[in-house]
This record gives sequence, C-alpha cells and structure tokens, in this order.
Amino acid sequence: MRRHQQRVFRLVGRILRRPEDVEDIAQQVFLKTYLSLGKFDQRAAFSTWLYRITVNECWDFLRKKKIRPLVYESDLSEEQVSRLDGIVSAERPPENPSERAEARDALERILEKLPQQDRDLLMLKEVEGFSVQELAEMLGLNVNTVKVRLFRARGKIMDVYRREKLRSKQRGLAPTTTERK
Amino acid sequence: MSEADREKGYIERACAEYEMLLEDYLAGGLGDADAQRTTAHLKTCAACRAALDEAASSARLVKMAGILAGAAVEPGPGFSRVVMARIRSAEQHSAREAGLWRPFVSLAWRFAATAALALAFLVTYSTVRHGQAGGNNTVAIETETHDLFSPDPAQQPASRDDVLMMVVGNEHGKN
Repeated sequence: MRRHQQRVFRLVGRILRRPEDVEDIAQQVFLKTYLSLGKFDQRAAFSTWLYRITVNECWDFLRKKKIRPLVYESDLSEEQVSRLDGIVSAERPPENPSERAEARDALERILEKLPQQDRDLLMLKEVEGFSVQELAEMLGLNVNTVKVRLFRARGKIMDVYRREKLRSKQRGLAPTTTERK
Repeated sequence: MSEADREKGYIERACAEYEMLLEDYLAGGLGDADAQRTTAHLKTCAACRAALDEAASSARLVKMAGILAGAAVEPGPGFSRVVMARIRSAEQHSAREAGLWRPFVSLAWRFAATAALALAFLVTYSTVRHGQAGGNNTVAIETETHDLFSPDPAQQPASRDDVLMMVVGNEHGKN
C-alpha cells in the first residue's frame, strides 16, 4: 500500500479536483482492491489494475454525487488570454504567484469545458505520463480506441481554447463599437 | 483553412483514417512504413497538418495545467492504519453476516437434499412400475394377435376328409 499510495492520491486528485474528497476515495480504492484481490487475473500489472480501480472509483463518485462542471460567471479577458498564450508557448510557468494563480484559473476554465473522460484521458497521458497501452488497460479500451480518443480530445481542448480567445477578443472590441454609436 | 478562419473558431478535422497515426506521430512512436506514409500524407493534407499542430499545442496546454495545479494531496501519516482498520471492519462485517445466515443456509441445504432424494425415489419407482406395466401389455397384445389371426392348432384339419367335413359343418351352421 505504501508503495502505491502517493500515485493513487495524485490520480484521485487529478480526476476529482476536490482535495477534500481525495483521502476518502483513496481509502475506498485500497479497501476495494484488498477485497477483490481474488479477481486479479495477473494479465496486467498490479499497478495498472490498481489504477483502473482508482479511475472507476473516481468516476463512480462523480456520477453518484452528480457533480456538474463549474460555471464561471465571467469570461477570460483579452489580457488574460494573451498572457496564457505566452505562458503556454514558453512552456514555463510564471514565477509571480498571482500570475500563476491567474493562469491556473484560466486553464481550469478551459479544462472544465471538456467532457470528463476526455479531460481525464489528457491529464493521465500528458501530466501523469501513462502510456497509451497503460491507459487502454486502465480504461478497459482497445489501444487504437485510446489513440483516437486522445487525438480527438486534443482537438476539443484546442477548440475550447480558440473559442475563449475569440470571445475575449470580441469583448475587447465591444466598448469601441458602443463608443462609435 | 487560413489563420483568420481558425481565429474565427472554424473547426477543421483531421482525416479519420489518420487520427490514430497522428497520435503516434506526435509521440514519435510510429514504425518506418507508417511514419513515411503519414509524412507523405501531411505534405498534401492541410487539415491533418493543422490538427497535428493543434495536438502539439494541446499537449503543452495540458502539461502547463498539470504544473500549475500544484502539489497533489499527500496521504496523512495515519492513512495506512485507517485503511487497515476499514479492511478489518469489512472482513468482520462479512463474517458476521455469513454467521447470521448460516443456520438458514444449512436448513435450506438439508431441505434441498431431502427434496432431491424424494424426487429420485419417485422417479425410480415410477420408471419401474411403467416398465412392468409395459411388459404385460405386450404379452396381452401378442395373445390377442394370436387369437385373431392364427388358426387354433387343436382345430386344424389333419386330412382332406377333415377339411370337407369342416366345410359341410360350416354350411350346416349357416343354415
């Protein structure tokens, strides 16, 4: 348990994004894993099987609690989007804490607009570093299906990002139009 | 699709048959033949080129989101103890539940075994009785058949005179 607990905590945290529920779900994961050890058929690595239980437990929790995506009252400003553009292209997070917080919020908003499974797939691949093969075993999917889903999820997140940029640009232009009237 | 179109939010999708290959291409995990085929396709297909560019940007975006999300929640010092306590409690609960139902389960098994024995006895008895009854019927039919179509050996004529006498006797009987 000690060997795997940190990774399980990280996974649960990434999927739920609710720190207050992470420990409860992680406990549930280890309990379920212990109670269903007899069902482990050793076709996949034990860690992959454990992460599969983790992902399912998180999705069950989200479904049972009917947690809906957050709805933000205001859109991103043009400055926020342009700063975010700079941060993402530079691939270096800002050092200033307030800029960091702002960029984190902006990215959270973009991720929030993706379907849960697409978001988790991207996070598990890009942030947690799981291979396509591991993801396929964890999610009970075919490897090729995972590849296609990943590629489409990439397209979706960039669509959301582009739309946010467009909206912020339009809002940036709006006062000028009003002034002309 | 121009940059202006893309900025307006128009979406251009990659060719469906190349989505899987493009995902591998992005990760650098394509074999030689597939890599050559995909490179050749990318030279001629603007939609796939744009989709590949976007996929690369998305990887940067998501990685940055992961970095900025900050440190994950760490397991508390008593985490293992709490989990072990929950496991023990779950095991005790399941043992208690099994103990609660044990007398009923045992009774049900006994009842099922008695019923199965009774059924087996009835089936055997019925088979044996049917077997006997079936044998008697055959004998009866055989006897009847013999009576109807076979001449009685006691009444069979022994010579030509006997035959003539029988015919005369029958003629008298009719009259």
